[in-house]
Amino acid sequence: MHSFIDNDLLSRLGSLPIESRVPMMGNVAGKHRSPHRGSSVEFAEYRKYVPGDDTRRLDWKAFARSDRFYIKEFEADTNLRAYFVVDASGSMKFAGKGESKIQYARRIAASLAYLLVNQGDAAGLSICTDKLRLEVPPSRRAAHLERFFSTLGKLEPSGETGLIPALHTIAEKIGQRAFVVILSDLFTDPALLGEALQHLRYRKHDISVFHLMDPLEIGFEFDRPHRFVDLEDGTALVAEPNLIADEYKTALREFLTKVRAKCNDASADYQLVTTDTPLEPLLRDFLTARLPKSKH
Amino acid sequence: MLFLSPALLWFLAAAAVPIAIHLINRRRHKTIQWAAMQFLLKASRESRGKKKLRHILILACRALGIAALALAAARPIVSGLIGWGGGSIDTVVLLLDRSASMEIKPGDGLEARRQIVIKKVRDAMNDLGAARLVLIDSASNKPQEIPSPDILPELSAAAATDTAADFPMLLSRAAEFLSDTPGRAEIWMASDLQSSNWHPGDERWSAARASIAALPQKPALRVLSLTGATAQNAALSLLGSRRSGDELLIDLEVLRSGEARGTASVPLTTHLNGTRTTETLTLPGQSLRFQKRVALPPGSETGHGWLSIPSDGNPRDNAAFFAFGPARPVKSIIVSPPGESADYLALAAAPPGFGSLSTSRVDPAMAASAITADLAAILWAAPLPTGPTADALQRFLASGGHVLFLPPGSASDAAFLDMKWSAPGEAPAGKFFILTDWNHDDGPLRDGIDGTPVAANRLKAIRRQMPVGDTAPLARWEDGEPAIARRIIDRGTAWFLGSSPDYAWSNLGDADVLLPAVQRILTAGAGRFDASYLASVGSDAARILPGETRTRLDDHGDPDPANSEYASGVFRLGDRLIALNHPPSEDAPEILSRESLDAVLDGTAYTLLDQAGQSNDPSLARDVWRAFLIAVLLFLIAEALLCLPKKETLNLKSEIQNQKSPSPISS
Repeated sequence: MHSFIDNDLLSRLGSLPIESRVPMMGNVAGKHRSPHRGSSVEFAEYRKYVPGDDTRRLDWKAFARSDRFYIKEFEADTNLRAYFVVDASGSMKFAGKGESKIQYARRIAASLAYLLVNQGDAAGLSICTDKLRLEVPPSRRAAHLERFFSTLGKLEPSGETGLIPALHTIAEKIGQRAFVVILSDLFTDPALLGEALQHLRYRKHDISVFHLMDPLEIGFEFDRPHRFVDLEDGTALVAEPNLIADEYKTALREFLTKVRAKCNDASADYQLVTTDTPLEPLLRDFLTARLPKSKH
Repeated sequence: MLFLSPALLWFLAAAAVPIAIHLINRRRHKTIQWAAMQFLLKASRESRGKKKLRHILILACRALGIAALALAAARPIVSGLIGWGGGSIDTVVLLLDRSASMEIKPGDGLEARRQIVIKKVRDAMNDLGAARLVLIDSASNKPQEIPSPDILPELSAAAATDTAADFPMLLSRAAEFLSDTPGRAEIWMASDLQSSNWHPGDERWSAARASIAALPQKPALRVLSLTGATAQNAALSLLGSRRSGDELLIDLEVLRSGEARGTASVPLTTHLNGTRTTETLTLPGQSLRFQKRVALPPGSETGHGWLSIPSDGNPRDNAAFFAFGPARPVKSIIVSPPGESADYLALAAAPPGFGSLSTSRVDPAMAASAITADLAAILWAAPLPTGPTADALQRFLASGGHVLFLPPGSASDAAFLDMKWSAPGEAPAGKFFILTDWNHDDGPLRDGIDGTPVAANRLKAIRRQMPVGDTAPLARWEDGEPAIARRIIDRGTAWFLGSSPDYAWSNLGDADVLLPAVQRILTAGAGRFDASYLASVGSDAARILPGETRTRLDDHGDPDPANSEYASGVFRLGDRLIALNHPPSEDAPEILSRESLDAVLDGTAYTLLDQAGQSNDPSLARDVWRAFLIAVLLFLIAEALLCLPKKETLNLKSEIQNQKSPSPISS
């Protein structure tokens, strides 16, 4: 059993479906809307019969009323394919006083993947550092989850972030619409991040961003001078935190504002999460917010 | 600033503790693996200037707070009187101005400046603890060790006098005393900085400064300035007096204090032979000079009395004492060949109708035998004397006589006291030598006592001779050549007038200039006969001679027997009758300027304590540890304020929480 899986949490969240916010293009029938017409029970529209249409789909009652041939079309339901993009750069290893950002990312990814597979959708995993290193293709088989979890468990953050090229690769690589969940501290250029998100958006993917920050990174509360060593490239800086706290927080605030703006521009579902946030309310709120309004 | 517990000043080193802690903390940093390095680098780049200054200020506040605490514990005493220095003072030499002007009060109902400063010195000395106090007062000019500062206010050597002060001498005496006194010493000069007491132009200052500089351990000089506002005051001065028959002519001056404005009425009371008469003087401005005629009882040979005005801001300057002896004629001789010049001089020296004035012409060849000690003045219109005549004339001058020399009329090589006459000169045709510049305050052409000028501008001369030699010109011809010059010889004065009362020389015979000039010279010459009845307190004439005793004759005021030597009044000194008054210079309002003080005390690095004579500041030295404790508090408050985090810092977490808003799609 993996440490990042909480069975009790999953059982409590099991009643909540994961909904896509955009129509999905799955390869099997599922519970998510498809852009195509299909065979569900939900009426979509009437259209005129054209030669070649399946005569079984003619609406004879409409013909009786209007003496014209109409085809009755229904919404198609399909399955959802989710890609969890986990940033495994060195900065994700940072742990202030609680768990590390990567561990928190593991818990989110594992929980959501379990729920997806459990409702018949496929879940895949992309782990990126300065180059896309590991990938678990999406699958909706229950046995696939073990591979998913195992890959997450073996994940060891190092090096600089490769999130931006990874997102572009995913945008190009995934042919059909998918649910892309990004788990990262996003310590990269917000402009480049915006471009990558726009790329994904262009491919009509449903994007969710979990922006993971450690409370210490936000609070920046130290009581003595520290030698700060960069987790990604080893750069060191000796500083008196009290002296530079204001400037640090100003820079951080500016960064967060930009990231949020870029996510909004790409219609991404942006969640700024500190690693001390309890997971259950976070995921419950996340899932609830994604439900169609009629199901609330 | 002086510290009563200087040993505790070692705790000042504790001020370095916050800085040391800061430096040690910087070296004892903790290493942390950090992710958000990009913000840290940016913050580190931008965190300069204000932040660094703020941090330095915090450190400074901490260090200064500790330093102020250490200083407070060391019990500091502060004032302009006591300078910086951790060591203790061994000897304080107090140069106390006891002059009459020091008795003025800073305000109604207050004590005199002298009393105020004495009490302040007493308190300062008590604060200093074991320091030895030596008093050199301006009346006696003698050093006197004071066993305890507490007795200073009651000490007769520090009591009021009617004398003047002589600060160059006082400083020399202090240097003299300290030359035999080891240890760290200070000289405190308590004075109202009256210019006449400080003699700013006196050459003795350089000697006094040199004496101070030559001391093995240079003392610190503190000047306790007793200047500033005073109570309303009017000073009565006796400028001179002479008997004229049955009248005593007394020249007086009433001087009001600087703040007085407008016309004022002052009652003047005359006390003579037990009778008292009062008249009202009207003072049109700040000063009034006038001549008071006191009618003497018929047949009186000698007598005395005094004039007084009501008591005011300075009780020591409200009375003027006089004494007089038998009337004596004012005699003079005119040494001149017969002629118009001699006639005019005789008219000027003894105008008809003035029985007390007499003169006679003496031939120059017979002058030596005619020069006698009872002459008030000699008018010399002949070649300058030589030989025995010159010796007799020189003796006459040395004894206080006055001689007016007029041009002999021809060029001569004869010299008297290294003085010669130039060759006669004549004005260009149709032009005259005229007087344009003369001294209105001094000399025979000075303005009258009521301010009326002598009509010297009416003098026109066509011939002149100029005195050649070391003289002080008091009037000049239009071309700048001396017309009237003066040469002081011992107690007497030689006057030189550059033209003659002869129609071939000038219009001096018109009496506009000659009469007042000759009469003033005669009066000055005769003054030495009356001078024995009048002197200033502290002058040579006021001292008793061996075998004499001092007896006070007047009943003015409440005399202090211990200080009778320095008090004004009418005294009998042995067989002498003399009226002693405070020196008129004590009423002069001129105060030594800061520049003059710098000049006279140049090189002594003196400290000036202003307003030491004001009564609203009760002490010259104050224990100021409370101020340092307040400073500690202020530094700590400042440090706390500087350490307060900004509001933005506190709210960042909540701001980030607020960023978790609904997604743009769902919203």
